[in-house]
Amino acid sequence: MAELTEIAADGSDSGIEIVELSTPAVATQATARRRPRPLRALRFGFSGIAAVGVKELRGRMRGRRAFVILTLYLLFLAAFAWAWQLIAVRTYENSGSLYGGSAAFAAALVGQEIFGALLIVETLLVVFLAPAFTAGAISMEREKQTLDMLAATPISSLAIVLGKLFSALTYVFILIIASIPLTAMVFVFGGVGPDEVLRGYVVLVVSAIGLGSMGLFISALMQRTQAATVVTFFGVMALTMGTIFVTLFWTKMAGVSPDQPVFRSSGIGPIKGRPPEQLLWFNPFAAEYDVICGASDGYGGWCARLAEVTNGAISIGIGGGATGGVPVTQVDQGFGAQPVPIDGRSIINDVSPVQPFGIRRDTFWPRSVVAWIVLSTVMILASVQLVTPTRRWRPGFLRRPFRKVAT
Amino acid sequence: MTTIVRTSGLVKRYPGTLAVAGLDLDVAQGEIFGLVGPNGAGKTTTLRILATLLRATAGVAEIAGIDVRRNPDAARRVLGFMPDVFGVYDDMKVWEYLDFFARCYGIPADRRRRMIGDLLDLVDLGEKRDSYVQGLSRGMQQRLCLAHTLVHDPQVLLLDEPASGLDPRARVELRELLRELRALGKTIVISSHILPELEELCTSVAIVDHGQVLAQGRVADIEKRLRYGAVLRVRVLGTTEEIGQARDHFASDPRVASATILDDGEIELGFRGDDDESAGLLAGAVAAGIRISSFARAASDLEELFLQVTSGQIPAQPQVA
Repeated sequence: MAELTEIAADGSDSGIEIVELSTPAVATQATARRRPRPLRALRFGFSGIAAVGVKELRGRMRGRRAFVILTLYLLFLAAFAWAWQLIAVRTYENSGSLYGGSAAFAAALVGQEIFGALLIVETLLVVFLAPAFTAGAISMEREKQTLDMLAATPISSLAIVLGKLFSALTYVFILIIASIPLTAMVFVFGGVGPDEVLRGYVVLVVSAIGLGSMGLFISALMQRTQAATVVTFFGVMALTMGTIFVTLFWTKMAGVSPDQPVFRSSGIGPIKGRPPEQLLWFNPFAAEYDVICGASDGYGGWCARLAEVTNGAISIGIGGGATGGVPVTQVDQGFGAQPVPIDGRSIINDVSPVQPFGIRRDTFWPRSVVAWIVLSTVMILASVQLVTPTRRWRPGFLRRPFRKVAT
Repeated sequence: MTTIVRTSGLVKRYPGTLAVAGLDLDVAQGEIFGLVGPNGAGKTTTLRILATLLRATAGVAEIAGIDVRRNPDAARRVLGFMPDVFGVYDDMKVWEYLDFFARCYGIPADRRRRMIGDLLDLVDLGEKRDSYVQGLSRGMQQRLCLAHTLVHDPQVLLLDEPASGLDPRARVELRELLRELRALGKTIVISSHILPELEELCTSVAIVDHGQVLAQGRVADIEKRLRYGAVLRVRVLGTTEEIGQARDHFASDPRVASATILDDGEIELGFRGDDDESAGLLAGAVAAGIRISSFARAASDLEELFLQVTSGQIPAQPQVA
């Protein structure tokens, strides 16, 4: 209680302690006697994050540039959504009889199409921008020799790293948030609930943080911004295209396909059965597709595309119903997707609970989100370690053979 | 005098290199202390250890009685550090630059505003408050960088090669600024290999080479000690013959190790002895009828000292009291 009162009493000051010393002897005693003050430390930590964040944002948001880009982006997104709506209408207008000719159902399908298209474009944006904004964050400071000046101040390495991360992501978040009203347009058509929009944005935000942390970590690891940028983009390509390719390779080698039963005996070496879902955890597109597929309750073109690409790695199937390879999607006539029966890995381990509508949904993206959160935390902590000047741990292969000997 | 910066047995080992090899320093409060040494001597490494940016392999480094290794946070609050290469943030105004560093020290907004104005006045950048940092001249950037080390009113300033890359006028301005800071009670530690700079500026110096202190103390003290063994230049009036005779006269003196006639007619003497003895040499020469128009110590500046000490002409002594 005394502690709290004391903190409250000097709440007017900075929340830090400026050690004012008259003689060195006093200084030693003062530092020795100081008790740990977690609240003060926390407040100082936040002010440090704010310091770095404000500095970065001042640079990034100065002038009209940032706002012009935002406007252009929204115009592009609106045009894209409109075009996609026209495509969807053309796709579904002649197949109304499949659904009993219900206009409401067709409108819902159009809404789901637009929702999916917008989310995928925004995911593309996040996948490109978030790592690009962070890949230079630390290495740039190192190149300009400002990291030393920063490290000589009492600001903590964690504050530097978090300040950099959030300021770099702020612009990405602004782009994401600004698109919400546009995405809300899908409510006009129906077929998508507010909860699905929310899920889509959760995945977007978490992917942005995850990919941003990845860029930051690589930036802290590498000496040069150029190298950090290149490595970051290889990493992004591995997470997106690479994981899909490995999944494809796996399914072909193991000889599985979504609509066929899995035989454990087929396959080469360790490649047996369906590819592990974990492969796709760090692929933001897979998680977004899962959300979009969930919006259409497991039916529709988005699910078909997901199943086609992942060949059943992601369980999007219909609870219980898929055992017989029942064809459930006959909707999608466009984009090269064939009518594909959707199936989880239900043949061999079909334990899916039967839910309302018989849909087993939202099983993949939450795992992806959790995996990203865990990975981001690890990468942020590793970055802190790399930024801290006196506790620098660096793998041997990255050490330069001839370190510049300081003069 | 209170010691405010102290290192004792400081060692920094890099893989394959010993950058600092048992360095002992004592800097008294209120001094402008120069670390002199050739490139690679360990000056920057020492400053970076003091600035809590490097961890020493062994030894102790203290600032204001705070062990920089055990308590880096407390040390950072009493020191200001300026690296040798001054980094400029893009897209930043002068006042924002100082504001950013003040925030890093957790200084509250109202104090920040006042302090930034004062500091900009101090470093004579008041008019440039709203200019972009990258648009300033190098000298201005250097002064701004110096101002950033002062935002938290530290007791000790560690400046790594502050004068490098500055034109003569900017150097003079920097020197004036450092004197002003000293008058404000700051202790300033400067590293440099530009010796004339330090000679005019520093109250004490340490000559460093191969990671060790070769000589340390007040500039005058070191000079006095090293003066025992100096180069004298004598200008003799008269014909070439007379000058030759004068050279022979000097060479006959046991304290003169060498006597050569230079192209311009001056005689250069390698002399072993202190000021008294050189006065005796002069008196003897005058008594012998040599017409001397000038008799002076050839190089008594730091540069000469430095060359003598680092080339081993004078045995390194640990310290001058």
